[in-house]
Amino acid sequence: MKKSVVALLLAILAAGSVYAIDPGQSELEYNGWFRYLNQSTKFQVTDPTVSRSLIERNYLRASHQWTTALFSKLSLDFHSASGNYSDGATVRIKEAYLDMALPLKDFTLTAGVQKHYFGLIYSWDYTHPDKSLADAQGVCASADYGVTVNGFLPKGLGELQLGAYNGEGYKISGAKNSIAPELLASLRLTPFAGVQVGASVFSKAKDFSPYSNSAGKLSTNRKQWLLPDSANMNRFALAPMAKVAFGPVSLTGEYIMYSYTRNYGYYPADSASGTISESTRKEVTKDYAMTGIDLLPVVSLINRKLEVFGRFSTWERKEQSGDSMPVALDKSLTRYGAGFNWYFLRRAGGSKPAAMFQLAWVREQKRNEVSPGVKVDPTDTFMAQFRFEWNHVLPAP
Amino acid sequence: MKKLLTIAALAAAVTTLVAGEVLVKGSDTMLNLVQNLAEAFSTANPDATVSVTGGGSGVGISAIISNETDIADASRSIKSKEISTARANGVNPVEYVVAIDGVCVIVNASNPIEKLTIEQLGQLYQGKTANWSALGGPNKKVSLYGRQPSSGTFVYFRDEAVKAEYAASMRQMNGNAQIVEGVRGDEGAIGYVGVGYAREQGVKVVKLSKDGSDYYSPLDKAAVDAGDYPLARPLFQYTNGKAKGDAKAFIEFELSPAGQKIVEEQGFYPLTQGYQDKNNANLQ
Repeated sequence: MKKSVVALLLAILAAGSVYAIDPGQSELEYNGWFRYLNQSTKFQVTDPTVSRSLIERNYLRASHQWTTALFSKLSLDFHSASGNYSDGATVRIKEAYLDMALPLKDFTLTAGVQKHYFGLIYSWDYTHPDKSLADAQGVCASADYGVTVNGFLPKGLGELQLGAYNGEGYKISGAKNSIAPELLASLRLTPFAGVQVGASVFSKAKDFSPYSNSAGKLSTNRKQWLLPDSANMNRFALAPMAKVAFGPVSLTGEYIMYSYTRNYGYYPADSASGTISESTRKEVTKDYAMTGIDLLPVVSLINRKLEVFGRFSTWERKEQSGDSMPVALDKSLTRYGAGFNWYFLRRAGGSKPAAMFQLAWVREQKRNEVSPGVKVDPTDTFMAQFRFEWNHVLPAP
Repeated sequence: MKKLLTIAALAAAVTTLVAGEVLVKGSDTMLNLVQNLAEAFSTANPDATVSVTGGGSGVGISAIISNETDIADASRSIKSKEISTARANGVNPVEYVVAIDGVCVIVNASNPIEKLTIEQLGQLYQGKTANWSALGGPNKKVSLYGRQPSSGTFVYFRDEAVKAEYAASMRQMNGNAQIVEGVRGDEGAIGYVGVGYAREQGVKVVKLSKDGSDYYSPLDKAAVDAGDYPLARPLFQYTNGKAKGDAKAFIEFELSPAGQKIVEEQGFYPLTQGYQDKNNANLQ
C-alpha cells in the first residue's frame, strides 16, 4: 500500500505542471466591459427600441497555485448584464474550483463551479461580442457545478473532457437542482496544423428548470398557472465542430442538435384576474427539438492589432403539436453580422486582450410572419464596447 | 471564391513579419547566447537583421502560437496543450535544439563537500537537510540560493532535482551572476547556475550522481554528451513550420561549427551528433 502511494506521488510529480503560474504564486485578474447598445427595427438607429450604456461584464478572479499538482480559482461575477438583473450590480460565483494534476501526463481533475465543456462555449473568448450559440439559446450555461477530467493528447493531437455536472448552470444551485446529473464528453482533435475537428455531447435525465419555484409561476401569456413539478426530461445535446485556420484567416463552425421532453402540469387561470381553477389540473408531455448552425470567420491584421469578424447563425426550434413537430417560427431565427476588434494592448502571455475596442452590428431575423408572405421586421443591434482586462501575478511569500 | 483567396492573400501579406528581419523572442536563459549568435550572423549577412528579445520561455512560446515571432527561444520543451492550441491556430511548431545547458550546482569554495546525489540535493533544497554536517561537511547552516519563478531554470531545477517545492527559505535571485555573488560571500551557501557561470572564483562546482554510484561534473563535456551528468538540458527554438528564408539561414548558422563555437564561448555545451541529426531532419 505504502509503495503504491509513493508510486502515485512520484507519478504526480513526473506529470509536471500544466498550469500557467508557479507554485506559491497567486494571480489576480479583472475583466471589465463597458458597452453602448443601440437596438432598432430595420436600421432605425435614430429611433431605437434600446439605447443604453452598460457594464456588460465585471469579473474579478483570484487563483492560487499550491504545488505543481494543485491549483484553485475563484471568479466572482460582479455583474454580467442580463434581462434578469437590470438593477446594477449583482454578485454570483462564476468559478470556484480545485484542480489536481492526475498521474497521467497533462491530465487534471477539476472539482467545483467550472467551465462547461460543451461545444464552443468553453473556448469562447468573445472575439465575437455575443455569446456562443449554445449559451445564447439556453442549451447550457457557460459554467456549472461538477467534476471533470480534462486532458491533452500527446504531441498536440487534441484534448478531451469528461464531466458530471448538476446540469442547470452556475446561476441555479441548492434546492433548485434536480437529482439527475448531466453527463458530458467532449473531444477536439488537431490532426494537422490549421485543422481542428471535434464534438461534444451531454445528456441529462431530468431537471426542474425552468419552473422550479415552489409556488408555481404564472405563464408569460397569463393564461396558465404552471406547477412547480414541471420538468425537462431526457435532455440531450450533440455539437460537432470544425475550425480551419490559414495564416491570419480562420473559420470556425458548429452544428448543434438539442432535444428534450417537457412534462408539466398546469391549472388554467383566468387571464385577467390570474385566478386559477384547481379542480381542472391538466398534465402535458411535449417534445422539443432544436438545431443550430454557427459560422464564425475572423481575419487578423496588422500583427494582430486588428481583427475583422463576421458571424452567421441559424436556430430552428420545433415543438410537438399532436403527432407532428412543426417549426416554432417565432422562436426560430437567422442572425448575421460583422465587426472589428482593435487591440490597444495585448497580454504578453495569453490571447485575451489587455485593452480593446469592439464595434459590431448584428441583424436578427425571426421566421414568423406578420401576414402571409411578410416576415416580421428584423432587429438591428449596434454595439460599441471597450474591454479592459488585466492580471497580476503575486510572488510566493 | 477567387475573391476570397485574394483577400486572404492580401491579409497574409499585411500581417507577414517584415521581410529581412528575423524576430526571436523568449527564454531569458538564452538571451545573451542568442544575441551573440545574432550579432555574428548579421555581421556575416549584412542584409539580414535578427532582433532578439527575452521575457521568458512562456512568452516566446505564446508568441509563436499566435504567429507573432519567427523564432521562439525556450529553455523547456513546448507542452502538449501549447502544441494543441498552436495547431488549432494554424501554427505547426517545429523544434530545434541549439545548445546544451548544464545546470551546475555550486558551493562556497571553502566548503569541503565535493559531490552530492540528486536525492541529497533535493533534501537540501526542500529544507530537509539544514546543516552541512548531515552530509559530512562542516557544522554550518545551509543557505539556499536559486532563481525567481519566472525563470525556466527555476522550473527545470525544481522538476529535475528538487522534485518537490523549494524550501521557503531559498533566496530567489535575479540571475546567475547574483547567485554566484551570493554563494561566494556565504560559507554555508549552495546555488545553481548555468555552466557559463560555474568557473568563477570563490565558488566550487559539485559533482552529481543520479543514484550514488558514479558522480559527474558538468564541466566534463564527455559526461554531458553521454547523458551521464544528471542536470544537462537542451535549449530549444521553435518555428512555425519548417524554418524558411532568413530564419532558416539563422538557425543553420547557429547549428554550424561557427555558431557552436559561440555556444561554447558563451558557456554552454555544443550539440551532440544526435541533436544535430534531429535538427537536420527538421530543417530539410
